[in-house]
This record gives sequence, C-alpha cells and structure tokens, in this order.
Amino acid sequence: MPNSANLQAKQLSYQIAHKSILSDINLSLERGKVLGVLGPNGAGKTSLLKMLSGQTASKEQVDWRGKSLEEYSPLERARQIAVVNQLNESVFALSLQQIVRMGWLPHKTLLSRETEQDHQHLAASIAKVGLSEKTHQTFSSLSGGEQQRGLIARALVQKAALIVLDEPVNHLDIYYQHQVLKLLRSLAHQQQMTVVMSLHDINLASSYCDHLCLLNDGKMIAQGPVESVLKATTLEHVFKIPCRIRRDEVTQNLRVDFYPSNEQEYPPQPEVTQQSNVHSSEASNKVHKKVSSKKGNSI
Amino acid sequence: MTNRWSLLFVLAVLSPVVGIFFGAADLPASELYRCVVGQCSTEVNALIFWEIRLPRVLVGFLVGAGLAVAGATLQNITRNGLADPYLFGVVSGAGLGASIATLLFDSQIGETLTIFGMLPDVPFSIALPVAAFLGAIFAVTLVQALAATSFGGRGEHMLLAGVAVSFMLSALSHFLLFLGDPFAANKVIFWLMGSLARTEMWYAWIMLPVVMGSVVLLLLFGRRLDALLLGDENAKTLGINVTALRLMALGICAALTACIVAYCGGIGFVGLLIPHIVRRWVGVTSRALILGCVLIGGSFMVLVDIVARSALSDQEIPIGIITSAIGSVFFLLAIRQRQA
Repeated sequence: MPNSANLQAKQLSYQIAHKSILSDINLSLERGKVLGVLGPNGAGKTSLLKMLSGQTASKEQVDWRGKSLEEYSPLERARQIAVVNQLNESVFALSLQQIVRMGWLPHKTLLSRETEQDHQHLAASIAKVGLSEKTHQTFSSLSGGEQQRGLIARALVQKAALIVLDEPVNHLDIYYQHQVLKLLRSLAHQQQMTVVMSLHDINLASSYCDHLCLLNDGKMIAQGPVESVLKATTLEHVFKIPCRIRRDEVTQNLRVDFYPSNEQEYPPQPEVTQQSNVHSSEASNKVHKKVSSKKGNSI
Repeated sequence: MTNRWSLLFVLAVLSPVVGIFFGAADLPASELYRCVVGQCSTEVNALIFWEIRLPRVLVGFLVGAGLAVAGATLQNITRNGLADPYLFGVVSGAGLGASIATLLFDSQIGETLTIFGMLPDVPFSIALPVAAFLGAIFAVTLVQALAATSFGGRGEHMLLAGVAVSFMLSALSHFLLFLGDPFAANKVIFWLMGSLARTEMWYAWIMLPVVMGSVVLLLLFGRRLDALLLGDENAKTLGINVTALRLMALGICAALTACIVAYCGGIGFVGLLIPHIVRRWVGVTSRALILGCVLIGGSFMVLVDIVARSALSDQEIPIGIITSAIGSVFFLLAIRQRQA
C-alpha cells in the first residue's frame, strides 16, 4: 500500500452477533480521489462506510492521514470526516441554513461565537452547491437532489477533508443523480477532498469515480481503478446476472449492460467496444448460444 | 424577527404588571407605584403587594417559564412533539412522594410530620414539597437508569420508559391513597391539580436559581441540542456524544420540573402547549426556542393565574384545571390545522 494514502483500511473485519459482516478488507485511497463502493444488497457496503468514517466501535483498523481513527476524539474526527446520511423526516421544520450551519459544531466550543467569517463561509458553501436562493426554505420542502446537495454543503461547512456518503443518489431522478455526482467529483478533483460513497448504479460509478471497490458477502472481490474492477466475469460472479461491458462512444467511460434472465435476448460481446482489460465470461458465452444477436436488454 | 422578539419582551414585562394589578382587593396604579418604591399608603396594601401578589406573579412566571423550557427541551431531544415533562414520570413520582408524606402525616399531633419518631417534627407545609421533590427525582432517576441501561439512551425509548414508570408510580400512589385516610387522599388530589394559591416569596428564591441555572445551561448546549434534531446517527457524525447529552438534558429538565411540581403541584399541558406556540414565532432551534419559552411560558402562566383568581367570585380555581382545559383545546386545534 502506498504511504501517500490518506485513507487506509488494514484487514478490516466486522461482526454483528457472531455473524461476519466484513472480513479482511484492505484498501487505500489517495487525497483528491473518489472511491465508489459497489456490491449487491447485504454485501457490507454500509458497514464498510461506517467503519471508514469511524461510526462503529472498532476504529483501530482504519487510518486517516497516518493516524488510527481510534486516536481521534469524536470532535477531532468530525473535523476531518463528514458523513452524509439520509436525513429522517424531522418533526420540527428546520431550514436549509439551519441544517448547513450544524457543520460548525465540531469547530465550536460551548462559548464560541459565530464570526463574520463563519457566515461568509456558510453562504459560500450553500452557493457552491447552487442553493443560495433556497437558504431560508424549509429543508423538507426541498427536492431530493437539493436536500442531498444541502447535506454536502454541511460537509463543506464542516471543513472536512473526507466525505463519506451512503448511496447519495438513491431516490434521485437522473438529472439530480448527475448533478450530485458531478459536484462530488469536482470537490475531489478541484479542492483535493477525498470522497467515498456507496452506489448501486455501476455505470454512474464508472463515470464519476476514480477508484472502485466491489464487495460481496463482506469480502473484497476487486478494487482499483475503474477499468481493473469492471470485468464481466467478476460482475457476473457477484451480481449473478450475465453482463456485457463496452466503452461508451461519446464519454469513453465503461458501460455495463446486464441481461437478467434466460428468456431475454443477449447479444454477443461486441469486440470493437471492448478494451483489452475487459473480459467476457464463460457464463455469458453459454448464454450467447441461446439467444439471438439482434436485440439487447439492459437494466 | 426583531419585531417578534420585541413583542415577546413587551409581553413578558407587561403580564407581571397586569398580574399584580388584578385581584380581589383594589390596588390602583398609583398605589402600585408607591408600593414599588416602598411607600404603600396602608400596611394592608403593603401586605397584599409584597406578601401576596408579587410572590405569586414571580412564582407564576418562573413556573410557566420552567415548564415550557423543560417541555421544549424534551421535545427536541426526543424529536417528539408530544413529549412533555409529565410524560417522564415527574408528576407521578411527585404524587407518590406527596401521598407517602400525607399518609405519614399524623393529625393527632397537629401540623407536623413524625416519621415513626425517628426525625424531629417537620411542618407539613415543608414536608409535602420535599417529599414531592424526592418522589419526582426518584421517578426521573428510574427513567434515566432504564433509558441508559436497557435502551441505550435513545429518545423514543426514553419516552416509553417514562410512560411506563409514570403509570407504575401512579398505580402505587393510588394504592396508598386507597389504603389510607380519605381526607389525606383529598389533600393529595387537590395538590395534584396544581395551584399557585399557597405561594410564598421564599418559593421564588428557591425556584429562581433552579430555573435560571437550567436556562443558562440549556442555552450553552443549545447548538449541540440542535444536532439531535437531525437524528442520533447524524448527530454522532458531528462529534456529539448523543447519550451523554440527552441524559444531561433530561437531568436538567427533571430538576426543573421536580422543583416546580414540588411547590405548585401538577400544572399540566404548559410544557406541551407553549413550545408549539413559540416554534411558530421564533423557530425550532434550541436557543431561540428556550428564550421564547421563558418569555411566553412565563407570561402565559401569569395571565392564566389572573383567570384562576378572578373567574369565580368566592374562590380560586386550581390553575392546573385551566391550563389543562386550554391545552386540550389547543391540541385539538393544532391537530386539525395539521390535517388541513
């Protein structure tokens, strides 16, 4: 593992009631990179994110900036790591600004006052996520995408260097999915923040992440740059669905097309769009024999 | 927003003045002014001003402010708009304490309490609030212990533990009253209705530091209490020790309510009603809410006490009856508004 890694997990394991949730996970991520955590339901994505952000009891297996998370106090950790979870519907109507300003909490003692600089930073953070006009609007009245961006603004106010997000584009329409992920990528690439997020959509992960890690049954199946993780054999093994990998002609990003059932038609692997490091599997070849090559059906 | 705060301050200043002005005896404004500067025209007027009306208005304001602040804090830390100091077993604990004190009260000896000859005689007027206070503290300690050990300090579980303890202690005190003297039972029931009628100036000197201390502490922790509104998981990621903060806030609310209930009995619905009104005026964040509750809660109680004193010509209505009546109507209106 490179020493320049900002975030490092060493033989990460996690159990709940004697059931192994994660076992022997090793990963490292450099500053200014976006890591996407992929895997089917129950693979351990949320548990991994919780461990990486110090939300679970055992923190000694994760290092942030060369120091075990165990060595950080909860407040120190909150100054370094911002977590963006889905907010439960609040009984009391907080405004966007009130939620974003909670990012100050790790930096304020009981007696500290809010300075002019704090307010400027708050306004700038809300502006950065494009919500200046909605500053005083009730948070629950914002759309899903706006809420997600509001929570990212809170992470900016928190001045954290690492943002951890659990399925940040869940329930968002396609426009907001891209908006939110574009914002996260620009924070990583332009402001050198480190972003770790779990995603279900492999194609979105391929478009916006620098690195991916693929989990299955609590084990790390593959990790590394996007092209080294997105392999048809691996994905078919993890998701139990035949798939094909191609390169998008416009964006040049890798695309994964799944063909979920035997009844569906499954086109042959188009050689022209494949990169040398992208493989089709034996399983998919078996399916090829059954289906015609005219139509494809992706999910 | 500044205008709203100005209005609240004006209300908080005016309502005690109105409270002192109203009463069975006629004290004109000029006489009130003379009394304030220590030059009452008669000794009776001096007695009415200094011994009856001023203590009552001061204590009324502190009771209203304290109950409203406790209610607002409990609602925020449990994220439940129905949370109220009384749901945490405070009143039933105080009721149990009062029941025990009343049963131990020996009418053969007179207005003193003798505990099987073990302690020196204690005047009943002191024994009742002390027993009620101890009962309230016992109840809340039990709720805290249950919440911390069995349920991990989660807000909703804390509320459920409070309801369970509340019912358990009520059952115990009803059983004691059932076994005891019917006269004693009447005393406890009247006390539980809540009243400011027996107020004396020293009540205010006991309540003032408790209410002020609680308000100052809650204001200091205000920003952190706000984080609990986001949910426990989110608050933890902001560096908050959620369980400790919630237990501390509950402890403050318990001391506040126990102190009030011990002297003035069970005055219901103030802790539930006032925070909802204040949120509409000044917002939901803890610091604004707590300050608003001090101003509106205090004023509300002083004004309701005027009604309690003057609605019937020959006697007072226990103030708890009026606050509960207003509170229940408000509650139905609030539900209706939410549905609309």
